[in-house]
Amino acid sequence: MSADDPFEAIKQTFFLECEELLTDLETNVTALTFGDGDGEAINAAFRAVHSIKGGAGAFGLEELVRFAHVFETFMDELRSGRKPCDDQAVRAMLHASDVLADHISFARGLIPAMDEERSNTVINDLRELIHGGSVSTTPDNDPDPTDPSLEAFDFKPVMFDFGALPLDSKTETAADGWIIEFKPHFRLYETGNEPSLLLRELARLGPTSVTIDTSELPVLSNLPEAGSYLKWVVELQAPLDRHAITEIFEFVDSECDLNLTPIGGLTSGLAGVQETSSVPVDTVDIAALLAAVSEDGAKPVPAGAAPALAEQADSLVPSVAVSNDTPKTVTAPAGGAKQVAATQASIRVDLDRIDKLINVVGELVIQQAMLAQSVTECGLTVDSSVKLGLDDLELLSREIQDSVMAIRAQPVKSVFQRMPRLVREVAEMTGKSVRLVTEGEGTEVDKTVVDRLAEPITHMIRNAIDHGLEDAQGRMEAGKSKEGTIKLAALHRSGHIVIEVSDDGRGINRERVRKIAVERGLIAHDANLTNEETDNLIFLPGFSTADAVSDISGRGVGMDVVRRSIQQLGGRISIASQPGKGSVFTMSLPLTLAVQDGMVVRSGGQTLLAPLTAVIESFTPKVGDLHRIGSGDWVIRFRDRFLPLINIARILGFEEADKSEVDDIQGIAIVVENEAGSQAALWVDTIQGQRQVVIKSLESNYRKVVGISAATILGDGRVALILDVDALIALGRQQANHVNFKLAS
Amino acid sequence: MPAASSIQVLVVDDQQSMRVLVRTCLTQIGIKDIRDASDGEAGLKELIAKPAHLVISDFNMPKIDGLAFLRAIRAHPPIANTAFVMLTGRADAELVQRAVQFGVNNFLVKPFTTAQLKAKLETVFGKLS
Repeated sequence: MSADDPFEAIKQTFFLECEELLTDLETNVTALTFGDGDGEAINAAFRAVHSIKGGAGAFGLEELVRFAHVFETFMDELRSGRKPCDDQAVRAMLHASDVLADHISFARGLIPAMDEERSNTVINDLRELIHGGSVSTTPDNDPDPTDPSLEAFDFKPVMFDFGALPLDSKTETAADGWIIEFKPHFRLYETGNEPSLLLRELARLGPTSVTIDTSELPVLSNLPEAGSYLKWVVELQAPLDRHAITEIFEFVDSECDLNLTPIGGLTSGLAGVQETSSVPVDTVDIAALLAAVSEDGAKPVPAGAAPALAEQADSLVPSVAVSNDTPKTVTAPAGGAKQVAATQASIRVDLDRIDKLINVVGELVIQQAMLAQSVTECGLTVDSSVKLGLDDLELLSREIQDSVMAIRAQPVKSVFQRMPRLVREVAEMTGKSVRLVTEGEGTEVDKTVVDRLAEPITHMIRNAIDHGLEDAQGRMEAGKSKEGTIKLAALHRSGHIVIEVSDDGRGINRERVRKIAVERGLIAHDANLTNEETDNLIFLPGFSTADAVSDISGRGVGMDVVRRSIQQLGGRISIASQPGKGSVFTMSLPLTLAVQDGMVVRSGGQTLLAPLTAVIESFTPKVGDLHRIGSGDWVIRFRDRFLPLINIARILGFEEADKSEVDDIQGIAIVVENEAGSQAALWVDTIQGQRQVVIKSLESNYRKVVGISAATILGDGRVALILDVDALIALGRQQANHVNFKLAS
Repeated sequence: MPAASSIQVLVVDDQQSMRVLVRTCLTQIGIKDIRDASDGEAGLKELIAKPAHLVISDFNMPKIDGLAFLRAIRAHPPIANTAFVMLTGRADAELVQRAVQFGVNNFLVKPFTTAQLKAKLETVFGKLS
């Protein structure tokens, strides 16, 4: 049953599960690495490998089974305490986890070949640890404990009469339900009892249907002031013991007529049993049952000394019965059980379906905006019902959009968890001792962003270990601990996710960076740069500080590539470094790639959108605020500073030439900031408002245009281009450097 | 000789792939009424709400393992008679021994074929038709 078609789909499900299982494995083994793992960590790690092995066996993935088997056997030694879970053992598990992941990737066809040599080395290492030195070289001489001769055991066959035996074991022990006739005496009312409360109590026991018998009720004209004439007939659908019902009426039993009739034949007295079988699907029941069993199970029961089932059952029943008698005291565990169930309720949905939903919702939002605009143009008053209805619709659309985006939100954990392996590998290659600390793994971000985080983070971590951290010798000399620390943190900050990769290494050598930048012609030799600006030079294309190009940090395209991939995600990256103390790389990314908040502006007859994340503020300058420097570059005074003024219409080619006279210029300046913190003012004609827009790729529909990051559809159905602030500021600089450029208009 | 189509089965496994796999095999045997649950607690709830003739449960599950699940079933009289087949990747003698004491009806070691599953069920119920 290996590769038959019906099983192929199941196999894919299995591979998806493997991803989760590998994550579990990694988490638990990592916990052991840092010594914060307990017995449960090794158990959970074992379970993960065991599940992988089980599934792999079912799908005929023999190599995977072979490897998982040895790995599992090793962990069994550890969890049973036969072998110590020391550093050596943990290291072996880390290596084995990596190879196991490779085996799975290979089985999935994700990697073209399996590193057999490494796999065999790890297998031999594990065997050596298992057998305490006596290495066996042939693969198949492990005693395989998976095949005990089951025939030796006396399994009991089950005698079922499938035709006649009704599955409802309830009918054997209790009635299916009860018909309860309840007729209060006048005395019941006199003593202040309330029939409706009693009926409500009954309803708690199970589904009820209540009919009222008014046959004894006198006609209104003859109705005495005080009297009791009503009778209720309650049909209760719950397999209960009679006692459970009479209990409710305990305090009024002398003040009413109570008649109980079982529905569907009650079998002979099994009072104790009925007690336990009382309420169906009662969480209290289950919580108590499980608690009783698992407490017992926690104790190692030596085979043979285990108490017989009958005794077990006996000892369990009273505890269950007690919990039924005092339902109030056990509500807490019941609630807990519910909570556990709630967290587990999840479904797997094909990503395509969600993407489709997101697209449709995006269209919905646009459509709603278009409708709102048309209505506004109709000149309806603000309090007209159409307008109010539209406002509600807008709120709902937004809510739908948020909810849909939340479906795609994923914790960055999945990416973070790949990093320990990377750190191990790079640390081994560089011969450095590195500890990885992660923070904020639960931070959620859109799936598209999560998927694309891995590459820049990988690069940044490689760089931090390779270039940032000193070797052991260097660290000792600098008075630091031998082990370097890389910290990977994620947090939400004002609508962005911020990822920080920091190290406690040597920091950026600014003199060297500057020297190299000058050598490569990236900056003028007399350029006056702040420390921050110097540090950020490492992001320039073609910059590499590595004396020798190493295998690890790439070929001198490193940080440039990182920056570009982050920019493509609409994010920014910056570095802060302290010589001798370390560096912090901070990247800030939008939480989603599907929508963006922006400021709608008009410039040169075009409607454009400035991403709100880049906008600092906007203002209408006075004539005296604008100055022309030299041959034609404009600057604008903003809070006692001068910022370069970038005329959008001109730089994007909507207008041919710059207007020569300041007096002619009517417009608004929008102060923006790029990812490196450089500010500039964008010159536009008007600001039309602020809007959340659905981003549509320009590249996939047209082609890449410098200065434009994407496009969107506005409320009136027109396409508006979204400004790429970073590129615009860069363009502005080129302009300032008198570089001639022409843009496609 | 019970008819396979009359047997009601509850499959309990934390892995969806395994649940689907067992379900597929059971369908091939001719069993029609198959329900499943993703852990022992859900399984117990399901079984109490609607009993089944047979439970096929994984041993290796988080929270409560197959053994605890079996014991919980045996400890609850209304469902205590449910047949129980344990599914495991590693049936070491000690585990089997304990499971037998708690009243397991048979063991099925992964990987298994539909024929093997059928054979196990027949040791429990007698020849299936």
